[in-house]
Amino acid sequence: MRSPDLSTRIAVTGTGIVCSIGRNKEEVWQAIVESRAGIGKLTRFPGETFPTDLAAESNAELPAGRRLSRTDQLAILAAREAVAQAGDIPLARAVVSSGTSTGGLLEGEDYYFRRIVRGRRRAPASRVLQQPTSGPSDAVAAAFRLGGGVISNATACASAGAAIGMAADYLRSGHADVAIAGGSDALCRLTYSGFNVLQAVDPEPCSPFGAQRKGITLGEGAGYLVLERWDDAIARGATILAELSGYGASCDAHHPTAPAEDGHGAEAAMRRALAEGKMTPASVDYVNAHGTGTALNDAAETRAIIAALGTDVPVSSSKSYFGHTLGASGAVEAVVTVLALQHQIAPPTLRLHESAAECSLDYIPHTPRPMKMTNVLSNTFGFGGSNVSLLFKRA
Amino acid sequence: VIAPGAIGIAAFRELLRSGRVAVEEVDRFDTTGLSAHKAALVRDFKPRDFIPLMKLRRMNGLSRLAVAAAKLAIEDCGATLSPETGVAIGTAFGPVQTSVEYMQEYVEKGASLAPPQLFAESVANAPGSHIAIEWGLRGFNLTITQRESSALAAAMYAATQLVKGSAQAALIGGVEEANEMLFSVLDRIGALAHADGDLDEAARPFDPRRNGFVLGEGSAMLVAGAGTRKPYGWLAGFGIARDTTAPISDWGTDPESVVRAMKSALDDAGVDTVDAIYASANGSLRGDELERLAIERLFPGKPVIATKQIFGEYAAGGALQLIAALLATDEERHQNVLVNAISAGGGIICCVISRDAA
Repeated sequence: MRSPDLSTRIAVTGTGIVCSIGRNKEEVWQAIVESRAGIGKLTRFPGETFPTDLAAESNAELPAGRRLSRTDQLAILAAREAVAQAGDIPLARAVVSSGTSTGGLLEGEDYYFRRIVRGRRRAPASRVLQQPTSGPSDAVAAAFRLGGGVISNATACASAGAAIGMAADYLRSGHADVAIAGGSDALCRLTYSGFNVLQAVDPEPCSPFGAQRKGITLGEGAGYLVLERWDDAIARGATILAELSGYGASCDAHHPTAPAEDGHGAEAAMRRALAEGKMTPASVDYVNAHGTGTALNDAAETRAIIAALGTDVPVSSSKSYFGHTLGASGAVEAVVTVLALQHQIAPPTLRLHESAAECSLDYIPHTPRPMKMTNVLSNTFGFGGSNVSLLFKRA
Repeated sequence: VIAPGAIGIAAFRELLRSGRVAVEEVDRFDTTGLSAHKAALVRDFKPRDFIPLMKLRRMNGLSRLAVAAAKLAIEDCGATLSPETGVAIGTAFGPVQTSVEYMQEYVEKGASLAPPQLFAESVANAPGSHIAIEWGLRGFNLTITQRESSALAAAMYAATQLVKGSAQAALIGGVEEANEMLFSVLDRIGALAHADGDLDEAARPFDPRRNGFVLGEGSAMLVAGAGTRKPYGWLAGFGIARDTTAPISDWGTDPESVVRAMKSALDDAGVDTVDAIYASANGSLRGDELERLAIERLFPGKPVIATKQIFGEYAAGGALQLIAALLATDEERHQNVLVNAISAGGGIICCVISRDAA
């Protein structure tokens, strides 16, 4: 079988995003440069009580469609923006690769509640049809009539990063000519309740790497990239936004939910991404961190970055703006990372009034930082110890 | 293999030889009022034979099936896996049962008091995570959830990582757990085989009388890239495509898309033809017709084997089908066989398995 040809460069020719700070990348970038977070009171589950009450909800008007879950709708919105920017791509040879943590579980919950009230025979099964985690990929594939293939993964919060890395491999091995890769996750009760019972949610807006951090803020959103082989993009006269130059994946093999405290898995993912991109640690100009705001993640990720890249590289967490978008985070943050490269401005970590003792890096507090960036990493880690690091290069 | 009617590769080989199907009346949950009453369920599986009790408590049913299958695969390969081993697992529905149990607790005790252990196991990649922890596997760890093609998509991902050099070896497989929620919903939408007049309840792939598939469960794992035993066979090439005529939750009508994926897999494997086709066909009306037309165009007269009537549909079935095809390269002396996975929603993945290294 053909191996992905690592000398084949991968161009990013479209990006799309929806999250709590914007319905598209213009709105998202505007919020980022204005240091404006999108975290407020949870409104999506009225009448239900949770130990914490903040969320980063999207207020975007979503595309209607039969049998689409909210996660699917977010996916279509972000993919549509990415595809529109990419322009004339061969959709018949396009593969879609999406990551999601829960897919249409929100609608599955509705079905489940109705079943409890009305019984099995009277609950509408059509609601639960929206549940599979293949939903975002299936919905995007149907919306754009993609003929190249459809792949979904549900690797917890590392899902979308893996979806993007996998898509690049299939372009490099010639299994597809263009890829629409990303991820999507809508807030649902199970995750909102679940992270709360794990005591992993900050009652205040999350403050990644901060001394007072108490956990994540749950968010929702979607992000998609259009990826093509570099020469194909040039040949059709596309505007190249950035290069996806490396993909590294690893597993902590440590604990079902907690990261390895020494950060060895995260370090391995970053090293593998650098090796694939043939870059040295010193060449990395910025890291868009996983930076969830939990005590364990931020300390472990800091250790991993120091081990893989040293102590000089600026790092920030975009989750301080739009919370943890779970399975979508790898894609939402990849889009932010590409925007940062394009604008040559690194997004800050908001609300970082005082770094934790174990978080000793430069986390770009409060305000965006104009700086020269050529190679940047976007990290995304998940439950089960799965880690993905994506290396992007300025076009 | 932890399959309906077969625990272990020897028993699975025997099941395939026997001509039996491992489909039985469902007694695990109540099927009263439903059209279907049979499924391919795993019986005689004693998780404690595979997993120590302390660890067992932390695993849901899905994880137990996958960890046990992984244990059998690792023992069978005869080697100690390097930490640079990746894990790629397919599951169409993942831990639905755990989510249901979590929501039950949520309703009964409240959103603040549901058990965190159930939440930790509610992610689809919990089985892959347990496998990584159990054997210290620090390579990639991915869980593919692409309906009927989940297991083959996992194989394609893992094989791609191996040829790229991202890992030394990989555990590849599929896992699925049958439960009342899944069964009743599939029944409600008319997807499951059911009795009709004189017709008894059975999956009938490619049969004009077919009226649905049988839900299966279990797990099948294989080790690629490591081992001391003679290889069962080689993952030689993959092809991927999508049928653009497919609605989101059913099969489409464009056999050319399946032809494209099959040709692409042959091309990737560098072979001109195959000796047999292990079909995706499961007894569904549209899916089987689509595949039949495609196979007739590309491989007229070739033997076509539809195994999912034996052990049911979904990711466990996809992985069992892959293993059945691997065994066939030995049993039937086939040089190359094609394995198809055609999903509702239009996803198609095809894989060529070769008896010998390229």
